[in-house]
Amino acid sequence: MGVVAAAVDQVTGRWADALFGLARRQGVLDQISADIERIALECQSPAVVAFLQGAKGSTSERLAKFGGLLESANPHTRSFVSLLFERRREEVLLQIGAAFEQRLLEERGAAKGIVESARPLESAELEALSQDLSKRLGKDVTLTGRVDPDLVGGVRVFVGTSMIDQSLQGRMDGLRRRMMEARLPAVGS
Amino acid sequence: MDLRPAEVTSILEKEIENYQGDSRMQSVGTVLSVGDGVARVYGLDDCMMNELLEFAGGVSGIALNLEEDNVGCVLLGDAAKVREGDTVKATGRIISVPTGPQLLGRVVNAMGDPVDGKGPLGTTEDDLRPIEQDAPSVVERQPVDQPLQTGIKAVDAMIPIGRGQRELIIGDRQTGKTALIVDTILSQANTGGGDPSNPDQVICIYVAVGQKQSTVVDIVRRLERAGAMAYTIVVLASAIDEASMQYLSCYGGCAMGERFRDEGRHVVIFYDDLYKQALAYRQVMLLLRRPPGREAFPGDVFNLHSRLLERAARLADNAPEINPRFKAGGGTLTALPVVETQEGDVSAYIPTNVISITDGQIFLESSLFNSGVRPAVNAGISVSRVGGAAQIPAMKKTAGSLRLDLAQFRELQAFAQFGSDLDAATQAKLTRGERLVEVLKQGQYVPVKVADQVIILYAGSTGALDDLPVKQVGEFERALIEYVNDSHPEVAEQILSAKKDIPDETKAVLDGAITAVKAQIQA
Repeated sequence: MGVVAAAVDQVTGRWADALFGLARRQGVLDQISADIERIALECQSPAVVAFLQGAKGSTSERLAKFGGLLESANPHTRSFVSLLFERRREEVLLQIGAAFEQRLLEERGAAKGIVESARPLESAELEALSQDLSKRLGKDVTLTGRVDPDLVGGVRVFVGTSMIDQSLQGRMDGLRRRMMEARLPAVGS
Repeated sequence: MDLRPAEVTSILEKEIENYQGDSRMQSVGTVLSVGDGVARVYGLDDCMMNELLEFAGGVSGIALNLEEDNVGCVLLGDAAKVREGDTVKATGRIISVPTGPQLLGRVVNAMGDPVDGKGPLGTTEDDLRPIEQDAPSVVERQPVDQPLQTGIKAVDAMIPIGRGQRELIIGDRQTGKTALIVDTILSQANTGGGDPSNPDQVICIYVAVGQKQSTVVDIVRRLERAGAMAYTIVVLASAIDEASMQYLSCYGGCAMGERFRDEGRHVVIFYDDLYKQALAYRQVMLLLRRPPGREAFPGDVFNLHSRLLERAARLADNAPEINPRFKAGGGTLTALPVVETQEGDVSAYIPTNVISITDGQIFLESSLFNSGVRPAVNAGISVSRVGGAAQIPAMKKTAGSLRLDLAQFRELQAFAQFGSDLDAATQAKLTRGERLVEVLKQGQYVPVKVADQVIILYAGSTGALDDLPVKQVGEFERALIEYVNDSHPEVAEQILSAKKDIPDETKAVLDGAITAVKAQIQA
């Protein structure tokens, strides 16, 4: 599967922008981001996904299913979700977690990345790598490790839509391409 | 091609020794959807227009649509190897083709990879040129004033083509469009003896778009047999190639021609044909969801052809001083695009577009072709807007009245069908016209040198053929040219070097020869 952060559709992006802007202005960013995180977690279950994609009934009936989740939430989060249901835009909730997190990271000058390696990396190694990358990118990079035995050796780092390939597999691919392009002399030339 | 194993090993050894892994930051994306030879990719933040992309499984692609949240690209290889979710890498390279003299005599595909089984081209990275380049600007050009001899009497006499001009070849299927191209390529052997290292030799590039492979094989065989492949490059994007390859092949071929042009050489490039190229472009653009316009072609189909044909040019002699991209001045790139019409309809979308872009058109008509007038050039609606400036003076003088004579003949011919009683003047015009039509007929694969053309046209226009039966005109032509070249070899030189008209003493020699040959034939 791809390692680049998933595409967020434009509608979700606009709703996320609105909520994020409001939260920042009101100074309740932490609270709302925690709410959104909880909602995003809830939205991962197949039953909830099915409900959001094909809900029938009146607004208050549909909203009732989300009631428990919203009880302890910030009033802005509550109005956000209510408005979504009223406008029949509840599918926005499916990706709101990813969209909101993107904006949060951007605000804090941070970035999340993935390190692929042939063997599990030790935390010290991960730490060194993320410090090095943070310096290079001018951002606070948090890395998560992932094991891909196909790499044979070395690491491959993905941050956003950028990649640094220092794996053995990548180097072999590059070398193979170079060999194919090498200029070979013909007999008699 | 054989290779020396020891040498190969040492080269590969060096490659491995010097290989350094790429530690640069690369832009990557994820395939969102793939199908019908196009893919949509999420990511690829710094992607450029026309940038080469690397997909998994060694497949390449080109970024064509840069949208807000995704990149639309065409695949240049087996789409079956690309799956949703695959990682795509940007290469930072604009799509390029190899250029240079190593390509002469070769058949390559739209990417410049050889497809003739004759081994690698032997070009280096320095020979790569981007396929899309700006056309020379106004100050970098000069007026077209050198003739490009096609070796076809009807064209060279009435629709002269200049070096650096763009002349459209238009007609229905089976009217001899490709035959005209092959004859023109064969005729270029007269410019530099067929030796590509001779600076006078005109280089030919034949871009086959959406053609049957068998047709192209035929043409290549024919050129090889005549020794014409030595100065020719064939760019092949046949009917089985992806639509993206078919539409890009013209730009690739043009980049190969520009390399020679920018080095001060003369090049003629044939796009056979631009209608099929437009169809391929339409297919790709519809799949990329660009909005369709007239006849479902995308809105920029005019620009598709105009930016290609604008690259034909005659460079100014001081072009290198103006722009260092030119290595030498005075080079030319002549473009002869082909457009196939349906039922002779020149007012369809693509034909009118290309007619308005080019500096004239050679119209081939199936009714003429079927009545035995071959090449089937319709002198009435064929024009060359550069024209006379690109003719040798002797030809200009001799063939000056030809178009008018033929037009009058066609008009009278229509009338003469109704009545039998015609006055002497009309009768004379009909007699002259019939013979001129006969003079302009020509067999396939037998281009005629320009001096020989002038000799026979001189005989026709002075009325020397009027008392000869129409059937004997062809025989007379062969005999006259042979006679003049054998007994008066200086005549050809005198015609070529004439400053205004054919000199009087040469005319006297020709008149003598005509009388002699006529006697010989009628005997």
